[in-house]
Amino acid sequence: MMTPVQQVVMAIIQITVLVSIILLIVPLMTFAERKVIGYIQVRLGATRQAGGIRGFAAGINKLSWAMGRIPILSFFRGLPVFAADGLKLLLKEDIVPDRADRFVFVIAPVICMIPAFATFAVICFYPGTLFTFPTTFPIIGGLPFTGFLTDINVGLLYIMAVGSIGVYGIVLGGWASNSKYPLLGGLRSAAQIISYEIPLSLSLLVAVVLSGTLNFRELSLYLAGVPMVTAAGEIVQMPLIAAIPLFFGFFFYITCGFAETNRVPFDLAEAETELVSGFHTEYSGMKFAWFMLAEYANMMAVSAIAAGFFLGGHYLLPFGLQRFVPDSIPFLAQPSLLFFFGKVFFLLFTFLWVRATLPRYRYDQLMSVGWKWLIPVTLVNLVIAATIRLIF
Amino acid sequence: MQGYAPILLLIAISLTLPALVWSLSRLIRPSFYSVSKHSTYECGIATTTDAREKFSVRYYLVAVLFLVFDVETVFLLPWALQMKELWIFGLVEMGIFLFLLLIGYAYIWSKGALNWE
Repeated sequence: MMTPVQQVVMAIIQITVLVSIILLIVPLMTFAERKVIGYIQVRLGATRQAGGIRGFAAGINKLSWAMGRIPILSFFRGLPVFAADGLKLLLKEDIVPDRADRFVFVIAPVICMIPAFATFAVICFYPGTLFTFPTTFPIIGGLPFTGFLTDINVGLLYIMAVGSIGVYGIVLGGWASNSKYPLLGGLRSAAQIISYEIPLSLSLLVAVVLSGTLNFRELSLYLAGVPMVTAAGEIVQMPLIAAIPLFFGFFFYITCGFAETNRVPFDLAEAETELVSGFHTEYSGMKFAWFMLAEYANMMAVSAIAAGFFLGGHYLLPFGLQRFVPDSIPFLAQPSLLFFFGKVFFLLFTFLWVRATLPRYRYDQLMSVGWKWLIPVTLVNLVIAATIRLIF
Repeated sequence: MQGYAPILLLIAISLTLPALVWSLSRLIRPSFYSVSKHSTYECGIATTTDAREKFSVRYYLVAVLFLVFDVETVFLLPWALQMKELWIFGLVEMGIFLFLLLIGYAYIWSKGALNWE
């Protein structure tokens, strides 16, 4: 049993790791976005950086040029761009327009960012102990480092609750700017996010109906299709036929996830051709960076939830097909951090892939897809899932 | 309640993060005031009116509908958790509830509340 001091130290270490992972993946994601979309559109994307520190940037550019001759490394040319982007945002002047509501203008990006980070508190990256600290460590010696920050039994409810707070940041940011484009962008975004929240919750309910739990770790283990021991001590296993609603639920969830994070094809809030840049038109410098950080962190959260519930979580095969992998295979039959992150990165890649492939929806199309198509279809999917749960 | 302490800690840390970075950025970034730079952006022309005029927002209806359907999902959640235990009782209750909801849904659809022009 851990003492309170040990618990706090342990939590701080885990939070530090978690926040650093988010803060590392988000800038890498912006770099990947440029490169992936570049390659899909048959161009190179970022290959070099302009520099304020002249000699330093020139040296890096020379290295990038040399990297271009080596097949795989040539993709990573311009990798320092992601650090340069962050540095630039930090060094940019932070403008608060005269007519803006100063207080709301400042807190809006923070309101947007905190739920995006807080979602990760219940996401289970690995269903157990990753490693144990050596006993020589001062306070936390001999304690396990778990693959999740906390294991509350209302994990999914928490995700749904916290995830819907982010929209306040967008609306308040749009309103506080006191400018026409951000106001319209904020309103659009609010209507869009609340419209897609219903099918989003309904498609997540499929997972709850099938497993009968809200705990993220138990959900992901159960939906992977491996035999799982419940808190009551009995062994349960998902029936194979449950893979059908799970399979459709995945696509509905991802569609709604795209809309919730304001990504193409649903990025009406940031439609450059009509609204300049949507709700963050007036934002600059670090405040703009927090909005971007929130958007990318939300994308990561959506990917992690989709991977955890629908794509088999910590196991190799998605949709409950893991049962066909015999236990005797050493690596593939075991849960692994690698599988989970592999799925998350694949889904993050899908975000970019879709962005480079699909055009933007028109606003009335967006609303009809959400209200007339997704809600009935997710309800039917939920009924199918409930039937399967009751019969099998 | 023990499981919730790390969440509070995470929120506290993600609150201090912007504060820290903003203070750091304040030290190293330039900050010069100019009237046109700090005016509201309006495609290059001078700002004429306030953005917060009264105008009809079509999203009001969406907000009302959202409220109805969000309550629905909240209501579905406990049933989804206890489905095996409630069995036929839960099934009938949920069937009646969803039936009523679908009547309302068909009604707003037929009234054209879901159409955008």
